[in-house]
Amino acid sequence: MEKHSKPTKYAAPAGGKRRQHLHDKDSMKEKRKQSNAEALGIAPVEEESFMDLMKTELLTLKANRTKIRYANTYRLESYNKFQDYVVRNKAQEILTNKLQETKYDGVSSPSLCASISEEILMAIKELGYDRYKYVVSILIVEKAGQAINVASRWVWDVQRDTWVSAKCETETFIVLALVMACYYE
Amino acid sequence: MEEFHPHNDEMIFNADEAHNIVKECIEGVLGKADYNHNKVNQWTAAIVEQSLTHLVKLGKTYKYIVTCAVMQRSGAGLHTASSCFWDTTTDGTCTVRWENRTMNCIVNVFAVAIIL
Repeated sequence: MEKHSKPTKYAAPAGGKRRQHLHDKDSMKEKRKQSNAEALGIAPVEEESFMDLMKTELLTLKANRTKIRYANTYRLESYNKFQDYVVRNKAQEILTNKLQETKYDGVSSPSLCASISEEILMAIKELGYDRYKYVVSILIVEKAGQAINVASRWVWDVQRDTWVSAKCETETFIVLALVMACYYE
Repeated sequence: MEEFHPHNDEMIFNADEAHNIVKECIEGVLGKADYNHNKVNQWTAAIVEQSLTHLVKLGKTYKYIVTCAVMQRSGAGLHTASSCFWDTTTDGTCTVRWENRTMNCIVNVFAVAIIL
């Protein structure tokens, strides 16, 4: 009966809003808490003392893997924006350094591919641009007289997200590196 | 306030769904065709654009990056690798390999979550 009466507290003055918010959340998650309490072997919390409420909320949060909510920063842009030319030069440098002497080898190429990818990712992380997620994609193609076509499209924020590509060509193979940076907050 | 977006808290990228969508797109475009140098540009563009439209139609709050590589089959080796710096609980990737008698096709889908 307690559970059903709680949602009717909507029509209260703005001052008491925060406390009510907790109660509303509480009534929504009451059932979940009960079943969680049973699963965890604790007696369900009947009295809503603040500390107990917080503890059981934390347990239910962990149990349900919900997202942590951060306070507003009121920042709409990144302070340290992604710089295309710097990243392109860096990626090009890494490619040429790693691949000047090597010949295409079917056995060692997979690990080479993965290691270049990780190296470029670490280098970009070190440059330390604010609020970006990165995707680095590497293609190693052996030269055997065939043609290859690579196309990409994206659905993203055109003003904030960007991409950069670097290419390295040797006698026996071609390496293409694509770096995509997506803004997130 | 949080009740308005209940699904946002438990967003996970569904790789199987994406895999099926992309596979259908590839088969629709390449189907029984043989490698044709003149048409390859059109094909890659079509595969990527169709995959993207179908992924967006799922209606989830994600940014998508779709990459497609089509290569003529000539016994040459092709390696691809990717590494990503993102939130592993919400973001994900999916790779689809397809081939026929004359060509190989690899499509990568990367999905980056948007927090509302």
